[in-house]
Amino acid sequence: MSDIDIKRISNLAKLNLPKEKETFYENSLKDIIQWVDNLKKIDTDIIEPLHNVTETTVSIRTDKVEKYNSVEDVLINAPDRAQNFFKVPKVVE
Amino acid sequence: MSNNWEMVIGLEVHAQLKTNSKLFSSTPNQFGSEPNENVNFIDSGMPGMLPVLNFGCIEKAIKTGFALNFTINKHSVFERKNYFYPDLPQGYQISQFEYPILSEGYIDIDQNNKEKKRIRIERAHLEQDAGKSIHDIDPKFSFIDLNRVGTPLLEIVSYPDLSSADDVVNYMSSLRQILMYIDVCDGNMQEGSLRADVNLSVRRPGEDLGTRCEIKNLNSFKFIRQAIEFESQRQIQIIESGGKIEQNTMLFDTSTGETRAMRSKEFSHDYRYFPDPDLLPITLSQEQIDIIKPTLGELPNQKLDRYINEFKLDKDISKIIISEKENTIIFEKLVSESDVNPKTIASWLVGDIFAYIKENQKEVSFLENKTQNIIELLQLISEDVISNKVGKDILPKVIEGTKSPKDLVKEMGLEQVSDTHELEQIIDNALEGEEENINKFKSGSDRVLGYFVGKCLKATKGKGNPKMINKILLEKLSK
Amino acid sequence: MKKSISQIKKSLQDKSISVNELYQEYFSIAKKNSHNSFNFVVNENYNDHNIQLSQSRYDSGKPLPLDGIPLGIKDLFCTKGIRTTASSKILSNFIPQYESFVTQQLINDGSLFIGKNNCDEFAMGSSNETSYFGPVINPRKSKNAPNDNFVPGGSSGGSAASVAEGACVASMGTDTGGSIRQPASLCGLVGLKPTFGSCSRWGIIAFASSLDQAGPITNCVEDAAYILNSINKHDFNDSTSSNHQRDDYVTNLHTKFDQSIKIGIPKDYLKDLNSDVLQQIEKTKKVLSKHNIEFVDVEFTTTDYALSTYYIIAPAEASSNLARYDGIRYGLREDGKNLDEIYLNTRTSGFGEEVTRRILIGTYVLSAGYYDAYYRKAQKVRRLIKNDFQRIFQDVDFILTPTTPNEAFKIGDKLDPISMYMNDVFTVPTSLAGLPGISLPSGLSSNGLPLGIQIIGNYFQEKNLLKLALLAEKELAFNE
Repeated sequence: MSDIDIKRISNLAKLNLPKEKETFYENSLKDIIQWVDNLKKIDTDIIEPLHNVTETTVSIRTDKVEKYNSVEDVLINAPDRAQNFFKVPKVVE
Repeated sequence: MSNNWEMVIGLEVHAQLKTNSKLFSSTPNQFGSEPNENVNFIDSGMPGMLPVLNFGCIEKAIKTGFALNFTINKHSVFERKNYFYPDLPQGYQISQFEYPILSEGYIDIDQNNKEKKRIRIERAHLEQDAGKSIHDIDPKFSFIDLNRVGTPLLEIVSYPDLSSADDVVNYMSSLRQILMYIDVCDGNMQEGSLRADVNLSVRRPGEDLGTRCEIKNLNSFKFIRQAIEFESQRQIQIIESGGKIEQNTMLFDTSTGETRAMRSKEFSHDYRYFPDPDLLPITLSQEQIDIIKPTLGELPNQKLDRYINEFKLDKDISKIIISEKENTIIFEKLVSESDVNPKTIASWLVGDIFAYIKENQKEVSFLENKTQNIIELLQLISEDVISNKVGKDILPKVIEGTKSPKDLVKEMGLEQVSDTHELEQIIDNALEGEEENINKFKSGSDRVLGYFVGKCLKATKGKGNPKMINKILLEKLSK
Repeated sequence: MKKSISQIKKSLQDKSISVNELYQEYFSIAKKNSHNSFNFVVNENYNDHNIQLSQSRYDSGKPLPLDGIPLGIKDLFCTKGIRTTASSKILSNFIPQYESFVTQQLINDGSLFIGKNNCDEFAMGSSNETSYFGPVINPRKSKNAPNDNFVPGGSSGGSAASVAEGACVASMGTDTGGSIRQPASLCGLVGLKPTFGSCSRWGIIAFASSLDQAGPITNCVEDAAYILNSINKHDFNDSTSSNHQRDDYVTNLHTKFDQSIKIGIPKDYLKDLNSDVLQQIEKTKKVLSKHNIEFVDVEFTTTDYALSTYYIIAPAEASSNLARYDGIRYGLREDGKNLDEIYLNTRTSGFGEEVTRRILIGTYVLSAGYYDAYYRKAQKVRRLIKNDFQRIFQDVDFILTPTTPNEAFKIGDKLDPISMYMNDVFTVPTSLAGLPGISLPSGLSSNGLPLGIQIIGNYFQEKNLLKLALLAEKELAFNE
């Protein structure tokens, strides 16, 4: 079984695991991945992945505009805002 | 390129689709609204919200598929591209990865006086645009406007078949022109409707491909050129001084004309693409695809061929006309509504008519209901009722159009004098006392003819039919 | 004996009780919240106006289908203007400006909203112990340890507990891997997970999009049919919402089947089962056999792989669905020197241990180098599981299994993650295949705690599934 780079995974998920918990989660992950590794035993070479269990419905809309909320509805829960913008610490690219 | 270096360039063009609503939500797809005004709960990534596909975007993609010689894939899948950024409310962008809607297309581009070059296009796929972050109005904060979130984009990815800035500009402007022609994109680069990421590497001929860098978000042909020039030089200098090119994502600084690497990320991007479980795969029937083809209309290069071969137009004039689709609409309307020679129509359109449009700051589409008047004017000229010069003089009034050209000519008494008798008299008068000049003409001076024509025109207050004057003068002088 | 919806409606219609009197019976228990089954209970006057309207409809003889029925709603459904938290710190202050499709149907049908039920955080858990607002206590007690608190199951533990304690007539839950059926079983209630695509997911806080389904937890099968009538509708705003023909699930519920029924019992589900649970299957077989129902043994080839498949797919989808909780547009925001710190601090502080664990698993199985071996592989096995069910449904009309491998365990028993996941062994395969499944109480364990049986039907067979469940319910009660 491959190594788990807990730092990389937690960074991708934007989670800052406290040092003392890093090993805990790493072991937890190791156990679970080992547990689910039993899938290796089953042969699926010619099988197509199943992404949608219904596989039949079609939900498509025509190109029409519908507006049903106000700007305030979208901003009302914002932890930090400036007029009608969301406000965040400056991002440097 | 100088010093035996080659550039290898691939382009990723993002074209905003010209639809009424967004790709997965029904909010307006429009530029320039107040901050966060065109945002609903789906766009802002609220808990429990779900995407629903706007079929109009599929239709635009299919149209593009026909116009750019793509294979239109009947089966395609939306996938999530996962990363964190404040202008990406869901924490993922819905895009297409393994199964894009279009594959393997091409455009043939002009190369200066050489034969056309085929630029192969690897794929085109649909994806959501992100919002806008404003970084430069406050030293400590950035401000997020989500209006653009979810705007439909078609990302068109070329093979690295481009070898110069010229190639890139030719390719991108052809692409832009075609997309505008088929009404898929409005081509407004300043508003961000069309943006390009340039992937560039350099190498000596015969060598393997070099490491490439990606310059993101270029939105004008001028910047594209500058960025390519700078980046290729930068890479060459590094290699020539013994260094190695680091694969980087770059930004182009429009004020300095230089590229620079984006702040390096600790870990390289791992987007963890997987099929979006909120959406079903797209399955197109042959009917759904076929029904789009007739709506394509004639493409720019098809029009060019037709204008040259059928209307016998000059290549340069044809190119001017086809440069904007609205020009072709007016031109073809004028041709179809009259039997004036298309060459005449073309030269008037491209000359005096466009000049009028420019001076009066109008749009070409302004001419749409003026075509009858213009045709009448051109007919009057071709029937010799008025002279070319008079036609040009009254053109503005004709276009402004409250009166028909026939009425204008009558009212202003502009009819050419074409009556032979009348003209003979005027010519006889003009020739009186001009023995010296007559002798000059007889001994081979053509300029004298022009002088006599001018004298006659003056005597007729400009209304004399110049061709006839010329003809009669020659007859008389040859006696 | 708890009152059913039809009984309640009858007594409201014949005026033996008023809408308000009925409401107060339930509300007085709800507001005590003695089992922590609610994150939020409405205040004293919240439903005054609705009660009036409901009463006048009953007075004029024209009540709506669920008129005056007090309902609990799992705190995963976005309820307009009312705090919706997913039992998580990261949404502890979130007030949606929109109503979920399902709860809107319940409102339209005249039901009375009594409160938001506690649940496992972001629906991840099988014991309702991962909630930011504390664990839920199962109202049912063990006869051998009457002072101990047992788990109600999860993730819809609060929903089940609120129905079991009498705080509401029924509750709306969600089921991803068993989160309606398992708590229903542990609390002695009926829990229905409809076919995937039956009920809209619009406005339900997403855990695993290809698995989540809304469904009722009720006191009896007929109540589940009433609620299914209300919520089982096509929703254009959910691209996975099926537009198949829907039925009236209440009419003909009590009539006999007009043809013979074949029910399969999977041998592989009964391996190593404890005797209490095995007894439930035996009992059910016995009481149903006389009704022109044939029982046959069937065998799956994929049972051993179902939990692995689920615990790859569900965390993967969850890791992506929970990326939107970043402190920028709503919910918790913790301070930071820069944007990255806001993300890290908010999400680390805002998510509990189980959610963190599942996000990490999900991120891992989707990441470069592991996608094919894990996520893609799991999607392939998922197809095998679906095919396995389809093969078995060629020979039988329904499948009978236990709902859970054991009775409720004590709160704080501190099961390790994998042991906790094993609680779902009988419910997960149905979820992966997207099939409808109903759990109904079949008896008690030797400790006196409830046990349940699960009946699985083929796609969109809810009408017949409910009929069979009703028959089983009748026969099991009769033979108690």
